[in-house]
Amino acid sequence: MTAIPEVEKPNIKVRPPAHQVDPRATAWWLVRNLLLCGIPLVVLIAAAVLWDQARIWLAAPIAAAALVLAARVVIEPWWRRRVHRWEVTDRATYASSGWLVTEWRVAPTSRIQTVDALRGPLEQVFGLATLRVTTASSSGAVNIRGLDRRVAEDAAARLAVIAELSEGDAT
Amino acid sequence: MSEPAAEQWQRLSSRVVWVDVLVSVLSLLPGVAAIWVFGADPSLTALWPLAFVAVAGLSGAAADILRWAFTTYRLTAMDIEQRSGVFVRRHRTLHRDRVRSVDIATKLRHRIAGLRIVTVGAGQQAGAGEAALVLDALSAADAAALREDLFNTTVASPSPTATTADVLDTTDKRGEREGGDRAAEVLAVFKPWWAVYNMFSIWAYAMAAGLLWGGFWLLSSFGIDVVGVVANMADWDSLGWVVITILVLAVTGLLGALGLGVNFLLGYWKFELARIRTGDHSHLRTRRGLLSTREVLRDELRMRGLSISEPLLWRWMRMADTNVITTGLNAWDPQEPTAILPRGPVTESHRVAGKIFGPENPFEATLTKHPRTALRRRLWWGTAGSAAAPAALLLPALTGVIPGWMPWAAAAAWPPALLAAVVAYRALGHAIADEYVVVRSGLLSRTTSALRRDAVSTVAVRQSLLQRRLGLATVSAMTAAGWSTYEIPDVPTDQAAGLASDAAPGVLCDFIEQGRPLASTIMAK
Repeated sequence: MTAIPEVEKPNIKVRPPAHQVDPRATAWWLVRNLLLCGIPLVVLIAAAVLWDQARIWLAAPIAAAALVLAARVVIEPWWRRRVHRWEVTDRATYASSGWLVTEWRVAPTSRIQTVDALRGPLEQVFGLATLRVTTASSSGAVNIRGLDRRVAEDAAARLAVIAELSEGDAT
Repeated sequence: MSEPAAEQWQRLSSRVVWVDVLVSVLSLLPGVAAIWVFGADPSLTALWPLAFVAVAGLSGAAADILRWAFTTYRLTAMDIEQRSGVFVRRHRTLHRDRVRSVDIATKLRHRIAGLRIVTVGAGQQAGAGEAALVLDALSAADAAALREDLFNTTVASPSPTATTADVLDTTDKRGEREGGDRAAEVLAVFKPWWAVYNMFSIWAYAMAAGLLWGGFWLLSSFGIDVVGVVANMADWDSLGWVVITILVLAVTGLLGALGLGVNFLLGYWKFELARIRTGDHSHLRTRRGLLSTREVLRDELRMRGLSISEPLLWRWMRMADTNVITTGLNAWDPQEPTAILPRGPVTESHRVAGKIFGPENPFEATLTKHPRTALRRRLWWGTAGSAAAPAALLLPALTGVIPGWMPWAAAAAWPPALLAAVVAYRALGHAIADEYVVVRSGLLSRTTSALRRDAVSTVAVRQSLLQRRLGLATVSAMTAAGWSTYEIPDVPTDQAAGLASDAAPGVLCDFIEQGRPLASTIMAK
């Protein structure tokens, strides 16, 4: 079996995507996490208060939930703000995301099937939108969260125009 | 075949109706037999299983007749169309050049009546709940004609056979299914001893439970006291519960294994994998089944690769499953249309892979090992995972709610977890081999997949906190086919981008840093 020459070349590096997400995304992540982790914690505490026998079993889960809440409210939004970046070129869509687990992914424009600008209820409050680019692979979607509404819509419109130029059934 | 009629709307075979009438009559028989022949007490309590069978049979048949009456289909020059639905009318149109697979199956009753169920797959996303076009059922001749018709569109005229040197079997012995103008290269045939590979699995107990449950109800509706018979077979009290448990596990396991063996022989009898050439087009065809038969044609142009997985518990037996990575066939389907071989010896899988890929078989590529830090990551996870249960039990144990030995007992999972970490690490490997990216990983099932690089749409590189500390990254290649994500876990961070770029050629070129390493190679050449 002959290895192709590409393997032998020295390690290549990719640069980070060009743009940061909108500054309001930090506040959005903070409020979202407060709701997401705060509600289970309140439920657990309420159960511990109301139900004597279960208290001993609930101590560890409550401590864990409190720690998670603290981390996700105090650390996560700012951490994400540093990691989340994005870029759309004529040939590909490139995004990095995450905090404890970070990921960057690239979807080529020629394989794009749909382009959407989505706005959840909380995102609407902050005037934000998510740019979602899907390919024929069910797990190959690129989600760029925390963009300004206008920016996301413009990018979606631009991508849709470019993607239509590519031929083939994109599988 | 009748060319002018091809454009008109056609019905499913009318024999469907007769089969349904027969089924509904047969479904009444057990109840009638129980009452008249065996003189069972005709009360509802004793007969409810039989009544249930009768009602299910009757209503199923009635629904099927309705379905037959409301379903029509036609084949035009461009599309295959189907109208169906009693209350919700549905008109489906499928482009002929989108057809990736044709699957012809029969159940026993169809077999007797000469009927075939035809499933036309067209790259639908099974995960999104899209279904293939199913024609249930056509007469055998119509089904064969339809299949020929669908696959002959891309070629103007079927070229005469025996143009290729490696044709082993040019004509089909049984003209019933096959037009004579096709070249079939047989890649694998059924070996009865493969049953051994299919008898031992955890499903044996499910099988045994089903058999015992069914047997129990059948016998009790004929008035036989099963519990009494079993109770009198031995002096159960003197055996003790350990012996009884072992005995029950052994007997049910044996029963289940036998059931699975018989099931395999019935399902895969006369199995054959062949490559069919029609002009410059080729398909992989599998046929199998004794009572219910199934024949699947897979367009090789739509194939994106092959994956061979070896389940952990049977690794010593060198057992493997072989599946094609392709669009349009559901990887989650319990009938396994993607499997081109039954579960069997891994040597057979590799032999067939060699025949499918030819001289440039990606499964023969030497796989690159992953760094030792990947082992450390697995050991950490094994340790953390086995520490969770003792940690949760610690406080209740200290306060005396549960006995003090329980956290220790829970910690006994640690050594096996470490062993599993080593096994999982040893499974890791990857390679770039010509047109393919080859990845191997998996603990419970070590899976080697060769995926066409030009089929990769999205690439991703992921790092967890621990991976960042250990200098590792996971590269994923996403594709429309098969399991949709194929991962190369834990490669060194500095190689991740290069690997991602190799797995999806050209995708990353806008984002590669034009730094020192790349520039120097260009200069050198």
